[in-house]
Amino acid sequence: MIPEVLEAIIFPGALYTIGMGFLFDWLDRKTSARMQGRIGPMIAGPYGTLQPLADFIKLLFKEEIIPSHADKLVFLFAPALFFMAPILSMLFIPIISPTSIAGFQFDILAILFLLGFSAFVVSILSFSSASSFTTVATGRLVLQYVSYEIPLVLSIIAAALCSRSLSVEGVVGAQTKIWNVFLAPIAFCVFIVAMMAELEKAPFDIPSAKTEIVGGWLTEFSGRALAFLKLTKEVSYVFGCALAVSLFLGGPLGPILSFGVPVSILYFIYFTIKILAVGFVIFVLKTSLTRIKIGQATQLFWKILTPLSLCQILLILILIQGGLIVAT
Amino acid sequence: MSDDVDKRREESAGLMEYSAENLVPFGPIHPSLKEPEYFKIILEGERIVDVIPRIGYVHRGLEKAAEMRPWIQNMYMFERTCGICSFVHSLCYGQAVEGLTIFQVPKRAEYIRLIICEMERIHSHLLWVGLMGHWAGFDTLFMWVWQDREVVLDLVEAISGNRVHKSMNAFCGVRRDMPQGMEKHIVERMKFMTDRARYYREIIDTEETMLERTQKVGAHVTQDTVEKLCAVGPMARYVGLRQDVRLNNPYAAYGEVPFEIVTRTEGDVQALLRLRLDEIIASANMISYAVENLPDGPIKVKIPPVIPAGEHSSRCEAPRGEIFYYVKSTGGRTPDRVKSRQPTLANLPLALEILKGQTLADVPVVLTAIDPCFGCMDRMSFLDTEQNKQWTWSGEQLRQYGIKHYFPDRKDKA
Amino acid sequence: MLPHRKVGAAIPEMFRVMLEKPTTEAYPYKKIDLPDRFRGKLDIDPEKCTGCSVCALVCPASVITMIDLGKRKVGDRELPVKRPIFELASCIFCGECVDNCAFKALEMSKQFELATPDRDSLTMKKALPK
Repeated sequence: MIPEVLEAIIFPGALYTIGMGFLFDWLDRKTSARMQGRIGPMIAGPYGTLQPLADFIKLLFKEEIIPSHADKLVFLFAPALFFMAPILSMLFIPIISPTSIAGFQFDILAILFLLGFSAFVVSILSFSSASSFTTVATGRLVLQYVSYEIPLVLSIIAAALCSRSLSVEGVVGAQTKIWNVFLAPIAFCVFIVAMMAELEKAPFDIPSAKTEIVGGWLTEFSGRALAFLKLTKEVSYVFGCALAVSLFLGGPLGPILSFGVPVSILYFIYFTIKILAVGFVIFVLKTSLTRIKIGQATQLFWKILTPLSLCQILLILILIQGGLIVAT
Repeated sequence: MSDDVDKRREESAGLMEYSAENLVPFGPIHPSLKEPEYFKIILEGERIVDVIPRIGYVHRGLEKAAEMRPWIQNMYMFERTCGICSFVHSLCYGQAVEGLTIFQVPKRAEYIRLIICEMERIHSHLLWVGLMGHWAGFDTLFMWVWQDREVVLDLVEAISGNRVHKSMNAFCGVRRDMPQGMEKHIVERMKFMTDRARYYREIIDTEETMLERTQKVGAHVTQDTVEKLCAVGPMARYVGLRQDVRLNNPYAAYGEVPFEIVTRTEGDVQALLRLRLDEIIASANMISYAVENLPDGPIKVKIPPVIPAGEHSSRCEAPRGEIFYYVKSTGGRTPDRVKSRQPTLANLPLALEILKGQTLADVPVVLTAIDPCFGCMDRMSFLDTEQNKQWTWSGEQLRQYGIKHYFPDRKDKA
Repeated sequence: MLPHRKVGAAIPEMFRVMLEKPTTEAYPYKKIDLPDRFRGKLDIDPEKCTGCSVCALVCPASVITMIDLGKRKVGDRELPVKRPIFELASCIFCGECVDNCAFKALEMSKQFELATPDRDSLTMKKALPK
């Protein structure tokens, strides 16, 4: 019991996830800077690696200003709820072995619930800081959530159907012969696009559009609440990439080399390479696209991505009937 | 004012199903405005019902300050009206004053003035394209375009010594000559600038997300609206009107250097992007021609510090539109009256007209599309915030109000 | 012919830029090279200054004040001796004083980092005798 709790808190649980969140933030800023011809962070730490940590610590020391009409209870405590959701979800992802720390038989449903829960908490947060910018942002947020939720769930179900299992460990375990991305490529692309909408990366950073509504739902936050909200966005990014890797790219599985290295280290290296690769794809897409309007985003999700993911599920059912996919 | 809002609400009622009315204050300090002005946007859901502006936040009183300084010092003051179109301001003022004297500007000085004017136009348009990218959410375009803008700024710095306030103009001439041996370098850099402008043209024509932000935005504007609202510069040329001071009323060396006017007919924000990028290419060609055919001769004619009495006006084509300067002299060392009218003041009503019926996401895009320079354009405005009234006064009414305020005991109203 | 619409039209250029050297400089740690005509902080050569006061007359920002330092005899006339002091915090870097000085005593150096916590350090009194 004690080793499991320690695993959950330090490695590969909460502290590891937070550390990976900082690493992804640094990589994001460095690669988009290089692609734009700039240098990126360079002062805090070697090559600027400690810059996200420095930003987090600086925000912890700043004054917290609460608007007079805001709902104080929600304003101060809901960021903690928002922070817990992706940290808890990471416990279901297998990282150093084909089994995860807290996995159980239906944990994909738990993950879907936590995704919806975090969107709900963000809507409440945005609504509780009562200012004209956040009112517009709440409308955009709810509209965007309603749009991306369905393709996201459908693509996760497509992956679960390929592996005939509703737990992440089961999906990972079923990919020993062939990865799900080759069986369900459309679902992978739909999942990446819907994930970019959930993480509010361009072209879908509409609810927190910096140049139109000043900060979107983040406008009125400052100090510790803002520090944890920004950290949560990074941790959700890590979780999104980890989910993509587990469901479609075989999780930590890979060729086992037999020269005496412990297997968990190999699993860990494969997993890290894969989530960095998925993260890099999302960095490139984010840097090269403009923010689109909310009406156009809704049209994209409802008219293009939802039918695509339904077609993908139909294709998988046909393949199952034809015997090309068997339950392991 | 409230009847107009009701009328607009009725007009746009069929467009959106939301019923909540929201007032979003855009400014005075906002991430998408370079300079502070206040726009009260009345929204229904995401659709804009009305935009009410309030100006006067950066009014500096330059016209009054000009009456207290000698003629040559005013040249430096008007150069600092704006950072991006600074040379054209000092050029227009200089031309207005030169019209009062009997001296002619030498040919070489006119060509050098044209070269610096066109370099400033390239710099301003590149800055604008980058800002459009930034405020639409496309940071990559913003960074790339501003790096290419450094090419032009380095050229300007090598010629005049400063990147922004060039201080090159003097009355009847320019202060410094072109440096020796720079012609090949300038022509090669202009070719580089042309290639980059063509590449950016290709990006804004093909990038899907950029097209969704800029195509058909504000396309309901017609030529009649633009003419009635008296828009100038690129805001008139993007609906097809052939209005350009360089063509209609040539000044400096524009009559001799070959010049093609650029117009478009689509009338949306993407047409403005294409128009300004094409103008960069036209300016680069003009600079290459002028640098290779620079005539010899003096660069300056010395004129006395006392300007003869009279009044004269001059118009120039700034990157944003038409600048107009009026100068009145009574034969002294300081001017009697200087009036300057900047292009953003003429283009702002058109921007507010374009915004009606668009969504909130279009506000930074459209407000940037007119290329605003609120620092140039600002005027005093009169408003009563408690009763929510705005009005205008003539110069004589303002003078009477000042007398009543500062000398309340005076009986005669002289 | 309509151009073909695609998502991510900027991606090839992004990879090309990523593999090149960045165009921004690590400024405080690397020096920037400036052209010859750069107009930076004003500098005076005290040997050449004769106190003719033309620079103070033409300055648009009233940066230059002439200080009376007494009188000197030239033949049988008494002429005033003046020297300038410069409030460089107000200088607008136009270069009028440099162009109008008949003795070439003034020049604009290439120094542009003028921020200082002490306003008095920007008053240049080099032309006054010790």
